[in-house]
Amino acid sequence: MSSNKNDDPISDKILNIAKKNPKGISDKDIVAAVPDLSSAELVAAINKLLQQGVFDLFNQGGSLIYRLKAQTSKQAVKGADNEEKVVYNLIEEAGNKGIWIRDIRIRSNLANTQLTKVLKSLESKKVIKAVKCVNASKKKVYMLYNLEPDRSISGGAWYQDQDFESEFVDILNRQCLRFLQQRADKIKNNPKGPILGRTQSFATAVEVQKYITDLGISNVKLEVEDVVTILNTLVYDGKAESNVYPDGSKVYRAIESLIPPPGLVQVPCGVCPLVFKCCSTGLVTPQDCKYMDEWLEN
Amino acid sequence: MSHQLGRVVSEILHRYFGELVQQVGNDLFIYGSKPISMIVKTTGLPRKQVIESLRTLLKFDLASFEPSVHEVVADYKLLPDNVLLLIRYPRYLLQIKSKYGTEAELLVEELLQQATSTATGLLVTVATKNKDDKEKNITILKLKDTFVSLATAGYIQQAPVADTKEGSSDVPSLVPVATIVPDLDSRQLIHAMTTGSLADIKDNIYWKVNYDRFHQDFRDDIMVKAMTRRIDDNAGELMRLLLQQMYLSSAAWAAESNPTPALDIREAVRRAADKSLLSQHVDHYLKVLEENGAGFVRRVGDAGGGQLVVCGRRAAGRLLEAVLDHVVTERLGSNAARIFRLIRTKKYIEEDDIQKHAMLPNKECKELTYKLLEEHFISVQPMKKAASSGAMAKAIYLYHIKTHDVAHTAQELCYRALHNCLRRGAHERNAHARLRDKQRRVRTIVHGMRMRGEPQQNIDDVEETLTPPELAVLKDVEKRLKQLSAAELELDRNLFILNWYFMYPK
Repeated sequence: MSSNKNDDPISDKILNIAKKNPKGISDKDIVAAVPDLSSAELVAAINKLLQQGVFDLFNQGGSLIYRLKAQTSKQAVKGADNEEKVVYNLIEEAGNKGIWIRDIRIRSNLANTQLTKVLKSLESKKVIKAVKCVNASKKKVYMLYNLEPDRSISGGAWYQDQDFESEFVDILNRQCLRFLQQRADKIKNNPKGPILGRTQSFATAVEVQKYITDLGISNVKLEVEDVVTILNTLVYDGKAESNVYPDGSKVYRAIESLIPPPGLVQVPCGVCPLVFKCCSTGLVTPQDCKYMDEWLEN
Repeated sequence: MSHQLGRVVSEILHRYFGELVQQVGNDLFIYGSKPISMIVKTTGLPRKQVIESLRTLLKFDLASFEPSVHEVVADYKLLPDNVLLLIRYPRYLLQIKSKYGTEAELLVEELLQQATSTATGLLVTVATKNKDDKEKNITILKLKDTFVSLATAGYIQQAPVADTKEGSSDVPSLVPVATIVPDLDSRQLIHAMTTGSLADIKDNIYWKVNYDRFHQDFRDDIMVKAMTRRIDDNAGELMRLLLQQMYLSSAAWAAESNPTPALDIREAVRRAADKSLLSQHVDHYLKVLEENGAGFVRRVGDAGGGQLVVCGRRAAGRLLEAVLDHVVTERLGSNAARIFRLIRTKKYIEEDDIQKHAMLPNKECKELTYKLLEEHFISVQPMKKAASSGAMAKAIYLYHIKTHDVAHTAQELCYRALHNCLRRGAHERNAHARLRDKQRRVRTIVHGMRMRGEPQQNIDDVEETLTPPELAVLKDVEKRLKQLSAAELELDRNLFILNWYFMYPK
């Protein structure tokens, strides 16, 4: 606000009420606030403030409404033209979710070429930045330069420059499993009874997170929810099961499949890519099947 | 009743009964039920041979018959499920041997080979066959006791008898009879043994193996092992006791057993008592079994210290899921299995959400999803927004798993694999038929010479007619055949779980 310091007491007073009413103030509010002012002086003061760009002017139900502009916008758009201001406002509104160029165009009513120019200039001033969206690689969203992109845009810890780091996830997945497996045997023939054993074989996400952090395999800081995502993949891998403690926290435990690999996957046909083309006669037959030869050889 | 099933059945019939029975069986499989004259017409075999084949099929309970519309001739029908049981025989024998010992194994083996037999006939045959075997030390009295206990436990049962009611049609029908544990006269048996003739004994009750009883054992075994893997030995033991309690009060294959009071279980544990850890923590084990036992056991009430039911249906479902998981993992990789399980957990899920939860790179995730779809492991349900305009109307694609359908897919795969194993085995046998024949001949000759006590020199001469390369080939073939038959048994185990799942209606 320092840049807008006014020597003028009238302007100060008007600004004060405007601050109290973020939805905007009407002429009547101003008159009520500074009753000892003639209308000519009032008009002059308001005009001055409008010129400074402190207020936005709206027409609501026939009467004029003055609304205080947000602080930052005043600073950032300094020295910018009107188009830039409009675009800037739209981008600012979008917050850390960003806004798509198409939406800016529709809402600002600017022509395509002009808009690109405006965006370029804002970008070069390092006021806004373009962020690639992880969900759609070609979709770019704009947001203010100093903002950290939302998880839905950046993808969180698992993305490096919009690329999914599957190796990283794999390593974490394996480490988490190792941690759970270290505990898993506690339930087996525990002399203190199975319930205690089960409790010992469970691990909460916080514990796993601590273990991962202590390992130091990740240079990105992993939040508990990130670890939960990884633990959930373990559940989907069928290598762990999750339970809920009475206090509502989720716990995980490494498990084995209910049955050893069934017969179907022990024979080559169960994994054979050609199994649906295999017939009694023809080119693919069990009699001279290469896979079967290999299998029977060893 | 799929094409694949037909191929397997045909291959099995060929192996066990030869070409003629295979032809007749094939014909019956394709056309459903038909009378003899029609079989003769389509197969082109002489009537006599067709009748012979049908007799074999009927004897081993691989076919059934019923009066046709005209009520004077019978229509014959193949029972493919029973044909599949033929490859399960080794498992029956192993099971009975581990439970009741060698005598029981010999009895069941003989009975399986003869399909049906009278009690005395069976006992005398087995006793005579093993008369000279000093190691096993089989006596007819021991066999008799074993027979009685097998009948009591329900592993063997009385064969159905022809309906003799008046007014029925010319075609007889078989009606099952209640099994009465026989009271066999030891003196008569010993007499029959010594004279070697059964003519004096009037025994017209025929017996056969009760497959279902064996299947119950297999089922129990699977459940107990699963619990042992999931929790520990004590939990497995507890599961076994629970199943025993279940048999007392409910049908063996009930989707959910009748409630068993926990008190009875505790009592049973105390009686079993060699597991000190289990008896110390029965209640805890029950609780853990209930909460972490994959839903095999469920608590239904708190009366009398808790009421427990065994959920056969859910157990079958869980085991099926485990089988499918394994299949998907091996066919398409562990990442595909992750997606498969994810979809199962979420019931209905969109493509984008799959990517988010499975933590896989976009491209790989899509590829695997489509692969799963292609191999019929998952299904897709498009949801179109009604009456919305133009390009903006984007359909939502919900992926989900139709368990029943996927189970069928797996079953088909099993049939294919089983057929291929059988086929390959037949091929190996054919290819080396001459050598195997030679080996067999040499063995008989050598055996005969040993019996006659001829000099070692001559025996060696005969044995050397099999050259070292021939021996090497034989050994190789032997090994392969062994591997193939082991695979057949494993596939059969796999099919058992699938069939168990199909036992409960959708």
